[in-house]
Amino acid sequence: MGRRAQRRVGDAMTYLVFFFALLFFGGPLLWLLSLSIRTQQEIFITSLRLIPENPTFENYTEVLYTAQFSVFLLNSLKLALAGSIGALVVSAPAAYAFSRLTFRGNKLFLIGVLGLQMISPLVVVIPLYRYFDRLNLVDSHFSTAMVYIAILVPLATWMLKGFFDGVPPALDEAAMVDGCTRFGAFRRVTLPLILPGLTSTFVLTAILAWGEFVVPYVLLSEPSLLPISIGILNFQGNYASNSTNVLAAGGVLAMLPAIATFVILQRFIVRALTSGAIKG
Amino acid sequence: MASRAGAGTTPTVKRALSPRGMLGENRPTLWLAPLLAVVTLFYLYPAFEVLRYSVTNASLLDPDYEYTLETFTRVLSDPVLYKVIRTTAIFVIASIVLQLLLGLMIAVAVNRASKRRLPGMVFMRSLVLSAWVMPGVVIGIVWAIILNDADYGLANLLLGAVGLGSVQWLATPNTALMSVIIANVWRGTAFSMILQYAGLQSIPEELYEAAEVDGAGALQSFWYITLPQLRPILMINIILITISTLNTFDMILPLTGGGPGQATEVLALRTYNVIFQNFSLAGGAVLAVVMLAIAMALTLIYQRLLRSEGSL
Repeated sequence: MGRRAQRRVGDAMTYLVFFFALLFFGGPLLWLLSLSIRTQQEIFITSLRLIPENPTFENYTEVLYTAQFSVFLLNSLKLALAGSIGALVVSAPAAYAFSRLTFRGNKLFLIGVLGLQMISPLVVVIPLYRYFDRLNLVDSHFSTAMVYIAILVPLATWMLKGFFDGVPPALDEAAMVDGCTRFGAFRRVTLPLILPGLTSTFVLTAILAWGEFVVPYVLLSEPSLLPISIGILNFQGNYASNSTNVLAAGGVLAMLPAIATFVILQRFIVRALTSGAIKG
Repeated sequence: MASRAGAGTTPTVKRALSPRGMLGENRPTLWLAPLLAVVTLFYLYPAFEVLRYSVTNASLLDPDYEYTLETFTRVLSDPVLYKVIRTTAIFVIASIVLQLLLGLMIAVAVNRASKRRLPGMVFMRSLVLSAWVMPGVVIGIVWAIILNDADYGLANLLLGAVGLGSVQWLATPNTALMSVIIANVWRGTAFSMILQYAGLQSIPEELYEAAEVDGAGALQSFWYITLPQLRPILMINIILITISTLNTFDMILPLTGGGPGQATEVLALRTYNVIFQNFSLAGGAVLAVVMLAIAMALTLIYQRLLRSEGSL
């Protein structure tokens, strides 16, 4: 077989893989979209047609206002922002120390942080539930956000350490020679230099926090405080199966912010994943 | 420079704040203080409490409890635990195999498309990753709809379209476990793909050119160059899939709820149910200790892999 023919075969195989991946990954999402704009009658037609005869957006208004999804979405946004900003504040100085300072146990500590990431949030939240219950901190966004910060910190620390490693130490040393304290050099020189890295870390932790389930599932029960992941699970449990069109609309709304953020900012995330994920 | 931090304070404090003291800005203490506080409050304290509860008879309903080893022996000798461990093992192993294979296939295709500048590569990558960034609960709901045996179940509609009979995906134990695995693979393949893709991009092009000069075909290059070069990343990938699959139960709740019977009740879900359905805090703590031990063992393996690969 000539080299050109071999290339052709390779290209064909590539698109064959793309086709099946498209079907497997795209199919369910398209189907969900299709169900979400159908009327109740049209969810029970046995047909593969994607665009219904009478497309409607009523399912969306119903799920947003009658089923309180607007409240759940807002709660998710609050918790995700508080969690990821808090995680950056805690992780940035620690990651700087791991990257720049020489001290005994540096590596051991880092492995410890990696180990924390392996621990299921479920293990963490079991004793916290009883503890918060005694302190009257159950059903509070404040205490829940603190736990969000805690479970995002290991990933944020590892990612940021990687980004600090990418900045030559000579730059902060130069600033210190010019009279900056180390903290001043960190704040005015190093931190601004890793702004893309901070963005990557922020976006990735925010997306993870958006989907977080176990922590709010255990710590929150008051309906007006629930994030979307719990809200939609309760909704699925309460709704009759002949309202799958409304459930589908809820599903679209719950995934849309995460997917939109990801698609818009994927330049940051793909790079962060390939550098940060391998290490931790 | 650094000594300025202590300016204007008493001599003793000054010494403590000096570069050689504990709190100097060239010492790690202050930099790590927020992290240490978080770790102590939200990891060390809970881990200690989980260990402590595991040797009590604590219940969620009763504030009083006694120390006893009975819970440990009761939970570990419960035949249900072994059923749960078997289910978990099948779930994890099937997820590893399928995510590695599928992830590698898509990564190779995406990598080839980007080298040959074929259109559609970014779209493909984004689509696969979209499944990964979705909340787990929503993934469970999507698949609960797709695999439903009502008229709107896409899976059975497709089977019907190619002339096959429909399957009761969520109703029988074996198909339910299969469904949970499919949904997990749908979610996790993106992560394997992106790791594999990064690995592929780091393989020097000269290796392939040399192989081509020596007359190696595409399959031979893949077998003798690509796979050995990817080995470290594949190993790391296995560990990370294991961890994320072990910790998964958000997706299972809306999909099967652990059923039918206990056919899809994995270890994490079992732990949750023992505490919040049976109210046995101590029993759940024993299972949490098991989960902690697994996490520690996997961390040790992971750290070895990272060290041998030179990224630590």
